Order: sequence, then C-alpha cells, then structure tokens
Amino acid sequence: MKKYKFSILAAFLLGFSACDNKLDLEPYQSISEDKALSTEQNVRAAILGAYDAMSLGGMWGGNAYIISELAGADGEVRWVGTFDGLRTIFNHQLIAENGNALETWTDGYDAINRCNNVLSATSIFRDADEKSQVEGEALFLRSAAFFELVRLYAKTYEAGATNSQLGIPLVLTPTRGINEGSFVSRATVEEVYSQIVTDLTTAKTLLPDDNGTRAGKFTAAALLARVYLQMGRYSEAKTNADEVINSGVFSLVGDYENCFNNDDNSTEDIFAVQVSAQDADEPTTWVFYSIPEFGGRDGDIEIEQKHLDLYPAGDARAAYFFEGNGAVRSGKWRNQYRNIPVIRLAEMYLISAEAAVRAGQSGDEAFNAVYTRAGNTAKTGVTLADVLLERRLELAHEGHKLHDGKRLRNTIDGLPYSDPKLILPIPAREIDANPNLVQNEGY
Amino acid sequence: MKRILLLSMLLCCMVLTAFSQRSVTGRVTDASNGEGLIGATITLKGAKSGTTTDVNGDFKLAVNSDGDVLMIAYTGYETQEVTVGNRSTIEVSLNANNILNEVVVVGYGKQIKSTLTGNIAKVGGENLQSMPVVSFEQALQGQAAGVFVESTNGKVGAANRIRVRGVGSINAGTEPLYVVDGIPLSKDARNTAGAAMNPLSDLNFNDIASIEVLKDASAKAIYGSRGSNGVVLITTKTGSSGKSKIELDVQFGVSQPTGRREFLNASEFVDYFTEAANNSDDLEGVAYDDPNSWTAFVTSEEDGRFRRYSGFNNSWKEKVDRTDWQEEALRNGSIRNTTLSFSGGNDKIRYYASGYTGNIQGIIIANGMQKNGGRVNLDFNATSRLKMGVNLNVARTFTDQVTNDNAFSTPMQLVALAPITPTRDEFGEYYDRPVTTYYNGLLETEESQRRVSTLRTLGTVFGDYSFTPNLALRVEGSANLYNVNDAAFFGDRSEEGNDSNGAAYAAAAFATDYNTNAVLRYNREFGKHDLGLNLGTEFFSSENTRQYAFGEQFPTDDFRTLASAASITDATSTITEYTFLSYFGRAQYNFARKYLFNVSGRVDGSSRFGKDNRYAFFPAASAGWVLSEEEFLKGSPISFLKLRASWGQSGNADIGNFAALGLYSAGNYNGSSTLQPEQIPNPALTWEKSTESDFGIDFGLFNNRISGEVDYYVKNTSDLLLNVPVPGTSGFSTQTQNIGEIQNKGWELTLNTNNIVGDFTWSTSLNFALNKNKVVALADGQELIDDGGSRYMNVVKVGAPIGVFYGAEYAGVDAQNGDALWYVNAADDNGVILDPNATTNDFSEANFVELGSPLPNIIGGISNTFAYKGLSLDVRLQGQTGNNIHNAGGGFMSCNACWFDNQTRDQLNSWKNPGDITNVPEARLGYSNGDQSRSSRYVEDGSYLRVKNVTLAYNLPTTLLKKARISNVRLYVTGTNLFTFTRYTGWDPEVTTDFLASNVVYGVDFYAAPQPKTIVGGVRFTF
Repeated sequence: MKKYKFSILAAFLLGFSACDNKLDLEPYQSISEDKALSTEQNVRAAILGAYDAMSLGGMWGGNAYIISELAGADGEVRWVGTFDGLRTIFNHQLIAENGNALETWTDGYDAINRCNNVLSATSIFRDADEKSQVEGEALFLRSAAFFELVRLYAKTYEAGATNSQLGIPLVLTPTRGINEGSFVSRATVEEVYSQIVTDLTTAKTLLPDDNGTRAGKFTAAALLARVYLQMGRYSEAKTNADEVINSGVFSLVGDYENCFNNDDNSTEDIFAVQVSAQDADEPTTWVFYSIPEFGGRDGDIEIEQKHLDLYPAGDARAAYFFEGNGAVRSGKWRNQYRNIPVIRLAEMYLISAEAAVRAGQSGDEAFNAVYTRAGNTAKTGVTLADVLLERRLELAHEGHKLHDGKRLRNTIDGLPYSDPKLILPIPAREIDANPNLVQNEGY
Repeated sequence: MKRILLLSMLLCCMVLTAFSQRSVTGRVTDASNGEGLIGATITLKGAKSGTTTDVNGDFKLAVNSDGDVLMIAYTGYETQEVTVGNRSTIEVSLNANNILNEVVVVGYGKQIKSTLTGNIAKVGGENLQSMPVVSFEQALQGQAAGVFVESTNGKVGAANRIRVRGVGSINAGTEPLYVVDGIPLSKDARNTAGAAMNPLSDLNFNDIASIEVLKDASAKAIYGSRGSNGVVLITTKTGSSGKSKIELDVQFGVSQPTGRREFLNASEFVDYFTEAANNSDDLEGVAYDDPNSWTAFVTSEEDGRFRRYSGFNNSWKEKVDRTDWQEEALRNGSIRNTTLSFSGGNDKIRYYASGYTGNIQGIIIANGMQKNGGRVNLDFNATSRLKMGVNLNVARTFTDQVTNDNAFSTPMQLVALAPITPTRDEFGEYYDRPVTTYYNGLLETEESQRRVSTLRTLGTVFGDYSFTPNLALRVEGSANLYNVNDAAFFGDRSEEGNDSNGAAYAAAAFATDYNTNAVLRYNREFGKHDLGLNLGTEFFSSENTRQYAFGEQFPTDDFRTLASAASITDATSTITEYTFLSYFGRAQYNFARKYLFNVSGRVDGSSRFGKDNRYAFFPAASAGWVLSEEEFLKGSPISFLKLRASWGQSGNADIGNFAALGLYSAGNYNGSSTLQPEQIPNPALTWEKSTESDFGIDFGLFNNRISGEVDYYVKNTSDLLLNVPVPGTSGFSTQTQNIGEIQNKGWELTLNTNNIVGDFTWSTSLNFALNKNKVVALADGQELIDDGGSRYMNVVKVGAPIGVFYGAEYAGVDAQNGDALWYVNAADDNGVILDPNATTNDFSEANFVELGSPLPNIIGGISNTFAYKGLSLDVRLQGQTGNNIHNAGGGFMSCNACWFDNQTRDQLNSWKNPGDITNVPEARLGYSNGDQSRSSRYVEDGSYLRVKNVTLAYNLPTTLLKKARISNVRLYVTGTNLFTFTRYTGWDPEVTTDFLASNVVYGVDFYAAPQPKTIVGGVRFTF
C-alpha cells in the first residue's frame, strides 16, 4: 500500500518534469534573424520592406513633404491644426523633443538599416541580373533616405564650398546587435553628399531601364539630378535630368489634375509611393492637407492668398485647389489612400531648364513643356526668375519649399536661409542614447 | 463492550449532577457590529460539557452554581470568561482577535497569523461587500498599508493600477500577481482594439472571503519569478457545515463627477479670443482691419472663425451661451447590483453558490457596463482521507466603451469646443467640423457604438489526499478561459467613418491559461516543536489568439456588422504563448510559537528568456521572536509582541513573450508581402531580480485593544528588464537588456484600536506607508530615458524617482511685455546651476530640470467604525501626499488662447498692460506664448484627502424578524468619493490619462474623465 502511494507521488513529479521542452516556444508572427535573409524569396521580401519604410509617415509618407512645406511656408501656407509638433515647426519655435523630428529620424534610419540588410544578403541571388537590380534598389532607397535626412538635420550644402559642417551619421552596415560601433558620430555634409552621389551613380549602372513601380535606372538618374541641383552642380544635374527626359520611358500627363490622387502611377511618375487602403496607418500627407470628407483631419494646412496670387490667370494649377472647411486646400493631397508622387517628369524639365538658363543657354523648350501644360501660352527667352517661379507653382506642396529656399539663399519667414531655426534638432532622445552625437545650434 | 461501559458512566455522571443544575440562556455577538455569531462554543470552565450558538448566536447551557465560569470561544475572536453569577441570561460580545488566532492565506497554504514571519496584509471580505465600485481593487484603496491603488480615470471599466511597495520596474510589469483560489490570473488587458480594460472587473467581490497581499520577500518568494511586484491572493467563500444560509443583497444608487472645471462662457470667449487676435496683430504690426490680420481671421463677418463656429452666421455677436460642452460630456450615472448566494453543508459536503447581476452607467456619456455571473464552490470528503473540490466561476460583461483620452471623439474633449457653437443645426442634426472647432464627440452617441463583451470561465479542481495524519498531497488543476469580443461601428458622420460611408471592426481574442500544481505537505508537532514542510511543482501555460477585421463602405448606418461592408481594408490574426515550469519548497519551524523560522525557495523556468538563462532560483529566509510568550512580559500591558526579519529574492518575468530573440516581421507594400527587422537579439536576457529585506514589529497592547504592525523595508530591483534606448541610427529604438537598478524603501504602519467597547463601540483602523523610490542606475553612461516628446514629461532619470517630471521651469510672465518666461537653468559639468535667476522667453533656451515626482511619498487610509445596537457607521478616509500632477491638457485648455480651444476661466487673468503682475502670459492667438506643455506652468500639487467611503447600516432587531423566518435584514446607505480635499485645480487628483499610463507615466491629466462620486442605498437579507 505504501509503495503504491509513493508511486503516485513519483508519477506526479515525473509528469511535471517532462514539461521542460514546453519552455521552447517560437513566435508565430515573426521569424528569427538567421532565417530572415537565408533564401532568395526572403531577400525579395526584404527589399520591399525597404520600400515600405520609405513610405512611413516620417519619410515620403508625410513628414519629408510636410516639414519642408511648413518650415519654408513664408506665408504661403498656414498651419491651423492643434498638433504642436507641426505647429512649432511652422512657427519656428521647435524644440529638441519635437515628435515629428524624432519620427523622421527613426523612420529614416529604419529604412537605411533595411537597405543595409538587403545589401548584406544579395549574394544569395543566383541570377546576376536580379542581384544587381536588388542591390541598385537598396542603394537608391538608402541614398534617398540620407538625402532627406541631411537636408533636414544639417546646415545646407553650400555650392562650391568645402562643406565640413556636421551632416548626419553615415550608417552603411546592417545592425545585428548593439556594440561600440553602434554609437556613430555625424559625418560632414560633404561626406554625406559624396556617399549619396557615389551610391546613386552605382545604382544607375545596376538598375534595369524599366522596373515597374519600383526604382529603375532613370529613377536613380532623376534623384541624382535633384541631388546635383541641391549641390549647385547644374551641368551634372542637367545631364541626368535630360537622360530621364530623353529616355522615352516617361511622358507628361495631359491634364495637370491627373498627376495626383492616382491609384496607379501616371505616365510622368518617375517614382511614386504605392499606397492602398491597407496602408491606413502609414502615409499622412492627406491627413493634414485634406478635410474629413476625404479622410483628412480638420484641414490643418490652409493655402494662403499669397501663394494663390502667384499663379497667372487661367493657370490650371490654380484651379486645382479646392475650398473646404472654410479655407483653400491643396488638391494634390485631397484623397486618402492614393499614390504619393515622389519624382515627376515635370521636375526633370524644370531642372533641365534651370541648368540651361544658368549656363546661358535657352531653357525655353523644357520650361514650356511644363508651363503650357498648365494652360499657359508658351514663353520665349525664359529667365532664371521664370524657371524658379515655375518650380514654386508646378512643384508646390511636394516637399521642395524649404530646400529650394535654402539652395537659393532666400529669406524665409524673415529668417536668413542659414538660420538654425530652419534646421531640425537632432532628436533629444538620440542625444541621450548616443553621447557621440553633437546637437545642432540653438537646441 | 468498551463503548457501552463508557456510555453508562457518562449517563451516571449526568444523572448525578442534574440535581443541582439550572440553565442559562444567552447570546454571543460580534462586538464590532452586534451581529450574532453562529457556532461559537460555550464551555463550562473545568468541565467537558458545552454547547454552540445557533444561527442567531443564541445558546442555552446548564450550569451548576453561581460561581461557574463560562468560556466563550470563537475562531478569530478573543476568548472570554464570564462568571455566571445569579443571572439567567448572559449577553456576551466578542472582540475579533486579529492577532493570536487569525488564520491568513499564504502561498500554497494557510498559517496562523501569530506565527507568520513575513508581511501579509489581509483585507476581509466584509470590507469589500456591497461597495458600489466597478472592480474589487478600487474597494481595496486605502485599506492595506503600502498598497497603492489608483483608478486611472472615471470611465467605467477603466484599468486600475496596484503597486505594492512602490514601482519596481521600468519596462517589465509592475502589477502584482493575482491568484484567485490558487489560479494565477494574468492582468494583461486582452481586449483587442479599443481602450485598455480591466480584466479583473468581472470578479464579483461579494464572493470574496478575503484578500491577502503578500508584501515582503519571505511571503512572496514562494511565487519566485512572478512575485517581485507582490502577490494578491484572492480567496472566495466556501460553505461551512451547519444550517443553510441564503443571502440577498440589492442596491441602487446614483453617481456624479467628483469635480468640474470652469470654462469661458460665450461672452468671455468672444472677448478673449478677439483680444488674443488683436495681440497677435500688434506683435506683427498688422492693422486689425487688414483682411489678412488675425483679427479678421477671427471676427470677420464674412468668413471669420467666430462666424464659422456659430454655424456660419453672426449670432456670436449676441454673446449668448449656446452650449456648455462640459455638461454635454458629463451626466448623472447610476448603479444597480443584485447578488444572491446560498451556502451551507454538512460534515461530508460543503457548498457556496452565488449569482449576481450589475448595471453601472458612467458619469460620462455613452459609457457603461453590465455584468452577470455566477459561482459554485463545492468541496466534499470523498473518503476519510481524500477531500475533493471544484470551484467554478462564469462571468459575462458588456462594456460600452468610450475612446482613449487623446481621441477627439472621447467625451471629455468636448470641452475644447466653443460656447458659441450650438450642438445641433436647424435640422436637428449634430454639427460637426468646420462649425465645431474639432470633431463633435456627441456624434459618437448617435453614430457609433463600441461594445466589448467578455466571457470568463474560471475553474479549479483539486484533490487533497492524506497519506498519514502528517503527510498530505494536494493537486490542483485550473483553467482560465477568457474570451473578448470587441465590436464597433462608426456611422457615416462619425470621425472614423465619415470618409468611407461608415466603418466597423470586429475583433475577438481568446486566452487560455492552464495551471497545474502538486504540493506535498508535512506537518508535525512534537512537544513544543512545530514543523511544516511544503514541496511542490507547478506548470503554467498561456496561449492568446486574436482576430481582427476592419471594413468600410456600408449601405446605411442601419447595417452595423462587417457582413455589410463593401470593402475589408484590414484583417489580421495572431497567436502567442508562454510557459512557466517551477519547483518550490518551504520549511517552517517554530518552538512553542515563540521562536519562528521560515525558509523557502523556488526554481522557475520560462519560455520568455534566452535558452542559456532560462532557469533561476529565488530563495528567502525569515525569523520571528514572539516576546510576549516570554515570562518577562507575561502580565504586562503588552499582550502581544513579535519581532520579525526577512530577506529574500523574487523575480519579474512580465515582459513580451519573445524579447530575447532577434526577429523579422512581415508587412506589405504595394500588395506584396515584405520582411523587415523587428527586434535585436539578446540571448542573455533573463529575470529582473528583487532583493528585499524587511524588519517588522507586531504588537498588541491592553489585551489587544490596541494592536498594530510596523515595518521597514528595502527593496532593490536589479538587472532590470530595461528597454534600453539605442541610437536610432541602428534602425531600432530600444533593446531589452538586463541592466539598471531601482530602489524602493520605506516604512509601513498599521494600527487597530478598539476605542470604546460595550454597547456603543468605536474602533479605528489606520494604515499609512512612506515609500521612497529612486532609480539607482540605468545602462552604462546613461542618465536619462526621455520618451516624453514635446507634450509629456515623465522620464526615468538616475537619482530621481521613476517617472519624475522633467521639463522647463516656468518663471512667470515678463511684466513689461507679457512674454512667458522660463528659468535658463544652465548648469556646469557638475550639475550646479550657474545663474538660478537667469530667465529666457525662448523655450528652447530653457534647460530641463526635475519638476517634482508624480509618485506619492505617503499613502494611507483611516477608517472609523461606530456601532450601537444594530446601527453602525463606517467612515473611511484615504489620501496621499507628495505627488504632483502634470496637467498636460493645459497646453490646450489653459494656454492663453494659443489656439481656438475653449479656455479655462483662469486664463482671463492674462497679462494686458505693461506692469501687470500675473502668472498668465499675454493671450496671442496662433503663437506659443507659454503653451509649451513641458513646463512647471502645468505642474500642480496632487496631494489629496478623500472621504472614500461612508456606510451607515442598520440591522433590524431580530425579534421582529423571527416570525418572517429571516435571520437578518441589513439596511445600508453607502457613499464613495463623497468629498475630496485637494489643491489640484483639475477635475480630480486621482488621475493618469489612459492612453499613456505605463510604469513611467503617472499623474498626467489629459482630458481624463473625473472619478465618480456614488451614493447607493441597499438592503441585505439573510435567511
């Protein structure tokens, strides 16, 4: 009897200790790091993850456009919303704890890390073409992220100068753990731009001519044109812009209004963020530009008369604004869940025209391609002022305002172009987490 | 044969004594409330004969002479001796003895309180019964020393927070472990889409027999890796042998908000915002009549904001109040509860069964809860050696939720709307933007519904087998099945659905927790030696599944489920799980209940940690010395005195399920799936460890008329499971590491006194606790974790209490120009402020400094109970001091008209002319002039004292009831949160806005709903 009792006891204890293997659990919604980049299929998904990162609210999904337009508003738009992050950017009272500045920084480096992960794994592709395509895409996206960040968080690139001012950290390897190498310092503006130029130049050679809605050779060329323009290297900008224009891959859309609020890329989209209703949480351009009727918030960004007055009479672009909730709104960001154009062919024409005029050549043809599309009569003897005004109109509210203002050394809201208030703070959280980072002036 | 002999001897004795006998009758009552005590034993001193009281507390006993002494004993009460004298009826009222014989529930067992060496706070079920609150934790508030309870806001079903002896973790859990009749309950908010809900609010607290809070390491180390934040043991009622008892408790009541704020009325609104617009124009040098001026922007009769906010007319010029939006958000709530229970049993089987239904309507619109449930607790003696039992609880709740405090649709945000705006247009439809300044949350009441329903089944089966009188094995198996259904619909004018012809989501979560344990126990008394051993093992597994779908495009608002959605835009399902495997043991020894020793240890393993660090050992040891058992104290006024000391370690494993792994997750881009890095690996990840020492004194004076406990403790939590901020340039924000240390140390005092005894009784119970919280260390070289952004400012800072407010120090207003000023507070490398008087009007020049702690340093409660005959009055105060509140909503509602949010009336004191001395800067529309939320301008003293609970009860005289076969009728009126004394100017000082509440964020008010003040009347019948 006693034996029997104790065997019950022993059975219980044994039964419990057999549970040990039940402590080995694997997650269902995630996979381990070593598996993640171990197959071609996975790396194909990982590069799409990098595209997705660029569509986040901190990047092309919102802030990259909105911060530039609000900080560079100069009375042409007004922020009337209740969110203080963007309000303080608009009225130049921002502080190092600004949430939008943090969001853009972390989303940007998230995108960069995703690209670096892809770049570390492309040797898995057996097909050499696919390998170079994916490599080219990762380089393009990483350059794009660096370019957005360096323009927002560092003093502007001064054409023809040494540009030894502090830029942003250049992170070129994937993060696999946190170690000493994770505490990076800021590279100079020159170093950042030269990395961008090198990478985009490489990407151009790697990418196929046509890559659907993803980045192709001419996407890299178009971004390079934009980068060179910012650097004041006009002839190189023109070469790249012309390469895109002459590629025959893209053509201007007949009606200006068909350039925006599209589900699919238009013929002039050199690159656009692909958006669907599944991305409800991500992009935010329309959230602030639009009104509740179309899925926006309260209509936080209003277009001011000062901007509307710039358009020639009868200009189709002026007609594209709409009135709603008691103010004038940009039609470009009216509807939710629509693609976000990042680079349009019209910009290439205007880069080409500007570079031509600056070089003493005629920019008429390139200028008029854009100018007449908006219903205006062609001009001859186009001046630099004509082209620059045309940029303001054609590319209004597409994220160029602040960067063009700095490039052209304009006074913005009464502040000189180089004013520290026009530069975002390195997020306070980053300064706390990484003692090697130096804060920007004024924060 | 032997038996017959014995019986006849006994008979002889009785016959012999019968001649001189007479009988006395009497009644034994509870001194605190006058209720009869059922089953008290009355014996004749020196004799073996005796009797027990009946269901009314009455007894009858034969006595031999006037000199006979009756001994009246009742478990948990002090034994009394009464000399019979010439009386024929004897009334005896017994005082509860909470020192000598009280039994407390400990981890995996029970123990006599006087032999405890750890610190356990016990709250009896009678202190919870009939309380008109949503969840039992709220009833605990102020009742146990060192147990901090906070309802984050006044929404019905909102999460409550309990912190035992301070906040012990930064990123891992800080809630105690809840164990209901041996089942560990997860308090994870498992609802799926809406605001966090309290999963414990479905427990019927009328079912609770007692709650024990295990506070020190010695008491809780037996729970090992899950004990670090304290353990709350909830024991439900069981039946006892004897006559069946039926209890019916019915209550009704009403509630109101505890506080209101004052906002501008229409006239003040128009004047103040006109002034603010004028000021902005003055600043810019723009004429008021310039069409581009701020003044025109506000007052233009063609397209100004006032016109817009009036419903596109110029009725604003009449300055007549159209809507008091605060009153639109608030309402009178109601409460209705009914509980019916049956209990009883015989020597073989005992039962307790209950059912309840409750309905609570909140004090804010569209917020309420309905609860129904039932419980059966059954135990029986299967054989003389085997006892078995089943506890089964089923509960169903329906909660009408409102959105989180930061949502425009949440009722309290209505206060931002303009008093010149009517709620409805001429067609009777609610106005929305652009007429309302922001989304009109009243639309939610017509357009939307958010209903969360839960179904919980909590069941335990146990068997307890005695191998010998000293050795027994108890095996328990339990399941906690928790099902949450979350369904919401947003009509085509609601904020969520207005761009998509209506939207809806349906979400379901199902949690299954299984727990099994086996405990072998050995108890042996030999001579004065008393030994107890426990050896056990336990396995816990939890699986959570969740489904969610979101759809848009509904034909009309009459269709409210996803079946009618033309477009499903989001759908997901997830599964996650975790397990614990444990072995534990405890040895208790005492000599003559005088010298007490206790050691325990537990080995825990969990799936949550890296493979190399999966198991850990948590030891504890404690000792006690009952001095009052020593000869030198016998006969002194000190009736009880015990010294205790304990030391031990416990752990915290309350983190994400896979924090140790390097992970990639999937997403989508352009209709294709994506892969992206999600988490950096940390294979070394393991437990957070708390090492705690406790020194205590338990005492009783004057026959325990005064009794109490004093404790001093030091609790160091090290190897924190810290989400260490890593450079964002890595592509990640944080990594979970074992790094850093937090210290909580403090004093606790509990004092119970019976001030007056007799017919009229007055007793007092007081507890208070002083706790000092300090972050000792973070990661190497790291001094600060600041996730506050620009609007919030609870941070983690080395040397300061966790969650300390950290922002700019407000220096008032520049009397010359009305600018808001802050102290620069520039410091040298040693942290010494260079010029404490230097101020700036540029917020970004102001260096952040500590602006006070949101954590109270003293919490406490005091309750006084008065009783006379059947009448009793219980008054309980509860309060805290030393804490501050950050009114983060102030940056909108008290920002001297920085934007169009309606302002609190104190903003009228804004600076107007040079030389004005005021604390409110000049009103400037569209400008930040002091509206920066991270400043001491919005920090206030949050100390408060509350009349938490007042209960007046009357037990009808039993003589009246006997004929109706009712043994007791109790009529009562109870009020909670009746009065609040505080300097805080917001709605209520008990506040932490729900969307931010975390280990670090306390004391932040951001449109958080005020607490309810409730008065109920009820009646309880006992049959």
